[in-house]
Amino acid sequence: MTNRDMWYLGPNNRLSRRGLLLGATAGTLGAAASAVAPAALAITADPQDTVDLSRQYDFYGTGGQAGIRTPPQRHVFYMAFDLTSGRRADLQVLLARWSGAIAQLMKGETIGEVEPPRDSAVGFDTGEALRLGPASLTVTVGIGPRVFSDAYGLADKRPPLMRALMPLPSDAFDPYYTGGDLSLQACADDPQVTYHAVRDLARIAKATGTAAVRWTVIGFGRASAGKGQSTPRNLLGFRDGTRNIREDAEFDRFVWISDGPDWQRHGSYQVVRKIKMNIENWDTHRVSDQNNVFGRHKVSGAPLTGTKESEQPDFQKMDADGTLVIPPTAHIRLAAHESNDGIRILRRSYNYTDGLSEVGLLDAGLLFISYQNDPAHFEALQARLGASDALNSYISHIGSAIFYIPPAPAEGSYIGEAFFT
Amino acid sequence: MPRTNPATWMLFATTASAAFITSAISPGAAAQGKSAAPVENGASQVRITLTADNGNSCALDHATAKAGPITFTVTNKTSTAITEVELMSNNRILGEKENLAPGLPSVGFTLALGGGTYQVYCPGAAQEMQSFTVVGKATAAPSRRIADILATGTKDYAGYVDGVVDAMLISVQRLKADIDTGDLERAKANYAKARPFYERIESDVGGFVLPGFKPTDNAGNLDYLIDMRASNLDDKVGWHGFHAIERELFQENKITHGTKALAAELEKNVAQLDRLVKTLSYKPEDLANGAAGLLEEVQRNKVTGEEEAFSHYDLGTLAGNVEGAEQAFAFLEPGLEKIDPDLARQVGAQFLNVKTLLDTYRDSSVPGGYKAYTVELKASDGPKLSKTVLALQEPLSKIAEKVAQAY
Repeated sequence: MTNRDMWYLGPNNRLSRRGLLLGATAGTLGAAASAVAPAALAITADPQDTVDLSRQYDFYGTGGQAGIRTPPQRHVFYMAFDLTSGRRADLQVLLARWSGAIAQLMKGETIGEVEPPRDSAVGFDTGEALRLGPASLTVTVGIGPRVFSDAYGLADKRPPLMRALMPLPSDAFDPYYTGGDLSLQACADDPQVTYHAVRDLARIAKATGTAAVRWTVIGFGRASAGKGQSTPRNLLGFRDGTRNIREDAEFDRFVWISDGPDWQRHGSYQVVRKIKMNIENWDTHRVSDQNNVFGRHKVSGAPLTGTKESEQPDFQKMDADGTLVIPPTAHIRLAAHESNDGIRILRRSYNYTDGLSEVGLLDAGLLFISYQNDPAHFEALQARLGASDALNSYISHIGSAIFYIPPAPAEGSYIGEAFFT
Repeated sequence: MPRTNPATWMLFATTASAAFITSAISPGAAAQGKSAAPVENGASQVRITLTADNGNSCALDHATAKAGPITFTVTNKTSTAITEVELMSNNRILGEKENLAPGLPSVGFTLALGGGTYQVYCPGAAQEMQSFTVVGKATAAPSRRIADILATGTKDYAGYVDGVVDAMLISVQRLKADIDTGDLERAKANYAKARPFYERIESDVGGFVLPGFKPTDNAGNLDYLIDMRASNLDDKVGWHGFHAIERELFQENKITHGTKALAAELEKNVAQLDRLVKTLSYKPEDLANGAAGLLEEVQRNKVTGEEEAFSHYDLGTLAGNVEGAEQAFAFLEPGLEKIDPDLARQVGAQFLNVKTLLDTYRDSSVPGGYKAYTVELKASDGPKLSKTVLALQEPLSKIAEKVAQAY
């Protein structure tokens, strides 16, 4: 075992449930993944929930961008940018340079020389991810509402449903965590791999004079599950995303854009919310009421009307006193598609921490990221949740942004190329 | 901060890059055509195609061309590893294209080349260096002209540095006179006026060690004696120079015998510096590295408010750093314009952005001409200042390599 592996070790040097699988001997990898460099091997307690740092996803393709359908990796580094150049050609070059660099990074390769032999040269790649492997890295590029304007000759390329999100109950935004013209969602199973990716892509943005960093969130634990993954927990200790979208048909119906011009097929809208949690208040709140707030049991994840996580909640069930077992303001009731005309969104969130707040409390929460083929779907859900969710006493939405996610580029092309032709 | 003598480290630079080029070159293996490139529109046409094939290839359709104007057209079909292509002659860049990526339109550059052997350099390709032959009369290499332009720039820059230190000496003498007569208010105003000079050139003059001292002994380090801040004091040597005076004037709010001794010592050291800078000469990359160093100073000490902790004249000294960096760039610009016009344009535009932002803080009622950099101003505007300077730092950091390879 190398030192890096120790990060994942539990007490007594036992691999924790979220163990680490290093190497390429496993035959259980997903179809889109391929193994590259065999290394040390570690077996985890839960064969369904493993990390293989040699796992690699394709950047180029014919469907949606990587990082949406991809089973959520362990870590995220999310960054939003402001365009600093008004030149259409600069935006074009940045998207192409980012695309080429992301293709390199997702293979676990550098984006250029780390130690140039020429004495006066600065490094092209900053080097901290050397030999860390691809680690399932995906980098998903988003384009903000302001970009689709006459300034860049892109007014006629505005995706039909692209607009600023409408104000919603519970909005409590800090302008410091709001908006942006471009976004990068870098996810991987090694936090240093995500850090390196965004750091070096941000350097390209600055070096081409095209964009500057606006805001960023570093997430450390996935708070959503993809197909075949067990449901993880948010920082409130509850399973999050039990009823998330998983199947192809659901992706086609709720996530991917399927109409309009060719260049937006398999595009999607990304909504990002930085949701701060009042961690200490939650910790001192009785667990029976925490269960009522969510509508689930904390440990098993089962709805209050059942005993297993996989059980469908019975939203009509009454107790002996004639009150609803899952309270009217429970989070799962308000978020359920049964309560929202069948609307569903893909949640791909991560837990985050910013250390301590100004008053010395834990500053942490959820970096909520959702994908949907109509931003109105998020708005409808959040309008309901923001108004009545019992959870609102413990959270506040302090950041928000929306981005259009173009489809994956074909090899030889780049993200958003269709906008410029 | 102190560093080694520019002339010394330049010697290593030349040796290292020469060795690299010689070992990496492999003549014309990837070029397909043996015939000379066709001539269209009065120029030989050479196509360079980048693909992901065979571990990333950089293929020329013709490896020879007739002497005269030659247009190189670069198309990146599928290579994500190659982002730039350069045409070189014995370590010197004659022309290049950066920001290449799959999907972008083809880009080209035209050079008038005389007979001889050149190199096409594609960093990131499986074979990075290929030779390219020009047949015909050997004309004066255009790179000679670039080298001449750069040489003129560095010579003129040396004159600029001399002038700045001359002016610095005069301003320090004024400050000393105020302190000697005990005029606190005038001393404060003249402190603000004396500060920016050193900030314009400090990355060129950081390496002077006085005779008889070891390089590690701050007591003989002229930069330490002139410009050391509270945060980096060496207790054995104590505090000297501008910022020790700043503390007396702005925090103690009085002039003592100690202040007078500090002012006399500062004048002596600046006079010493003034004599020493006249002996300096510069390579083009020294100007570029110096400019980059001044912008690093901005981020490390000025945006943080650390430099002028007592007087809060940080924005004036920050403007001094920016002005010095811009001057160094200006002396390189005519040469860089020939090597990489896109980069020259971009750096010029980013300097303009920084100066436009700095102009918003001008206030003629404050000594030094800029608003006080208070805790409040730092909180509200620090991120904006830092970000704007960073947008200049990234492209500017690429200049040294370009100019170092152009002569």
